[in-house]
Amino acid sequence: MSVIVLDKDAAVSHLQRRPRVSLERGAIILVTALWVLGALMPILALFVISVLRAKGLSFDFSLTLQAYRDVLVDFRLEIILRTLRVVAVVTLIEFLLGYPFAIWLAKGIRSGLAKSIILVLLVVPFFLSPAARTIVWRSILGNDGLINNLLLSVGLVDTPVSWLLFSEFAVHLGLIGPYFPSMVWPIFISVSLIDDELIKASRDLGATGLQTLWYVVTPLAVPGIVAGFLFTAIPMLGDNVASTLLGGGRVALIAESFDDLIRAMNFTGAAALGAILVVAVIATALIIRWVLVHLDRNNGHRLKVMSS
Amino acid sequence: MTERQDRSKISRRTVLKRAGAATAALALPYIVPEGIGRAKAQSSPGTIRMMGGPTVALEDWAQFEKDTGLKMEFVPFNVDDVGALYNEILINGAGERFDLINTLAGVQKPLVQQGQVAQLDTSKLQNYAGIADSVKRSPVLYTGDDKDWCVPLYYNADSFGYFPEKLGLPRPPEALTWDLLLNSEETLGKAALDGDMIALMIGGMYLKSRGLADIADPGNMTADEVALATDWLIERKKAGQFRTLWKTYDEQVANFVNGEVLVQRCWEPAVKAVQAQGLDVEYATCSDFHVNWMHSTFIPVQAAERNNLDEIYRALDWFLGGSYAAELAVLRGYTGSRMDLGLEHARSEGWPDEKIEAIEANIVKVETKFSNPNFWIGGAPDDLAAHDREMARFRNA
Repeated sequence: MSVIVLDKDAAVSHLQRRPRVSLERGAIILVTALWVLGALMPILALFVISVLRAKGLSFDFSLTLQAYRDVLVDFRLEIILRTLRVVAVVTLIEFLLGYPFAIWLAKGIRSGLAKSIILVLLVVPFFLSPAARTIVWRSILGNDGLINNLLLSVGLVDTPVSWLLFSEFAVHLGLIGPYFPSMVWPIFISVSLIDDELIKASRDLGATGLQTLWYVVTPLAVPGIVAGFLFTAIPMLGDNVASTLLGGGRVALIAESFDDLIRAMNFTGAAALGAILVVAVIATALIIRWVLVHLDRNNGHRLKVMSS
Repeated sequence: MTERQDRSKISRRTVLKRAGAATAALALPYIVPEGIGRAKAQSSPGTIRMMGGPTVALEDWAQFEKDTGLKMEFVPFNVDDVGALYNEILINGAGERFDLINTLAGVQKPLVQQGQVAQLDTSKLQNYAGIADSVKRSPVLYTGDDKDWCVPLYYNADSFGYFPEKLGLPRPPEALTWDLLLNSEETLGKAALDGDMIALMIGGMYLKSRGLADIADPGNMTADEVALATDWLIERKKAGQFRTLWKTYDEQVANFVNGEVLVQRCWEPAVKAVQAQGLDVEYATCSDFHVNWMHSTFIPVQAAERNNLDEIYRALDWFLGGSYAAELAVLRGYTGSRMDLGLEHARSEGWPDEKIEAIEANIVKVETKFSNPNFWIGGAPDDLAAHDREMARFRNA
């Protein structure tokens, strides 16, 4: 239903703005051109470089898969899999934290001012550099840190809990903060666009809060949720701050591998690793899409069952 | 088949072909090594732009500006990370943007071969002739061609920092061994190590000094040798020896201050900084070996073509003078290439006794340490790729 409403809106706005069509088209062409130049070209170059043969600092223009063979050694595979696992877990945590928060922000707060303040507060930490934001965890999680001091003084432990810092746990924790807004914002926008009347109608018809969430809000928020997952997971794949500062040289993630390869001036290798990551991201996005389409169909089916 | 279908088919094929050509064309700027449209060498008269290790920089360049009449624009770079440094110079063309480049001595040798370094006109450097030949012709500095390519800035014999009281250990100059850092039950999980390939070189030095492996030069290992060193370090890592691997100077300081470690491979300035915060930490003197290094500075070949070359020489000569040597000895504990001038400067400027004593102690300290067994690290191993690969393996273990 919402799709039809949106279409109608689009049609109306299109009619109203007819005189400005050429401007819109110009903007579209400009954005597309920038996208091709800034995003598509480097990615294509990545794939091209990854199959070239390295010759010193330059390339020999013959095709080879040597770079892939060099990169895909046992420990690198481990690093790729670990990165994908950490990113998946943290993204899921972000969703579990961010979804209720976004709903509360969009529908729970009535005052526009309060809403604006909270949105600004979400952004404020990002004025600090990522390293400065992350290193703070050290004085909280360290052997002589806040938490350990608390645990020791309460008598819960005799010696400091050392796995709080320089561990996978610390890296997970360090990743949650920086990527929280990128999960919240798209969902917040999606949920804000849901007509309050629909939610009211659902409650009037006797649905519980959870039923309304599952059958009304969630299906309509799907575009925002998908965007949230992508906006959160993709940049996180390239994060080297949390693993470097909080991993203590135990939690190697893929971003460090890029640093390593570029440092050793193995550009074809770095390109090959990048290409693998791009393919992994696209495959993940396709899988998410497939799951969502599948869920959507099931939901539609359930709605039909409910209404009959 | 209608004409329309036919046409669409042809155009699709044409489109595919064009897309292929376009892809190659799109990728071209990224695979042409020289980098299209890189900014041409620009001089900035009156200002010296220098890139170098963070410990090269003084807290205040006022003395430099007063003595030379030039402004200093210093950009810190983790020069220990040799691969990153080469990348910055060879790929990102740092020479276009800097008048002076500081590196770990030894790193400049391949750069000299690749024509990145301007040969020094030592007649323009008043303080150069007085530098000891043992320094000027040291293995990390001398390229073997009877030419001078870079000036030695300062040097030191490195070890690790430790808390003597907490560990119940003597203070320097009484000597310790590297076991405390690398192979000790007492410091298990309370030691930290470099997060770059210097860690592997130290592993190699340890194995060589104990006769545990046949390694010719731990500062420049072959792929097989570096694999041996890495295997041993991985063993120690799995035993839980290391609390963390640091990447920056700030982390070294933080690890001591936050009580994460009892012993840490670190730079001497980190120990100085921690002492300044009132903590009882010392920089070890070792009986088994020291890690000798030197910082050197060169004029990039691009800068030699600029019209501020005389200013560059004036700045370079200042680094070889007394005020820099004295300042650095007190601030970092490093030994400048002209400590004689440093001592003279401190005395003539009427520095307080304690600072003059610190400079004198510094001269003695380095003489003592250099007479112990030691290994030079020249920054760049020949098989950089193997070192980087093994470092990634060590970190992942």
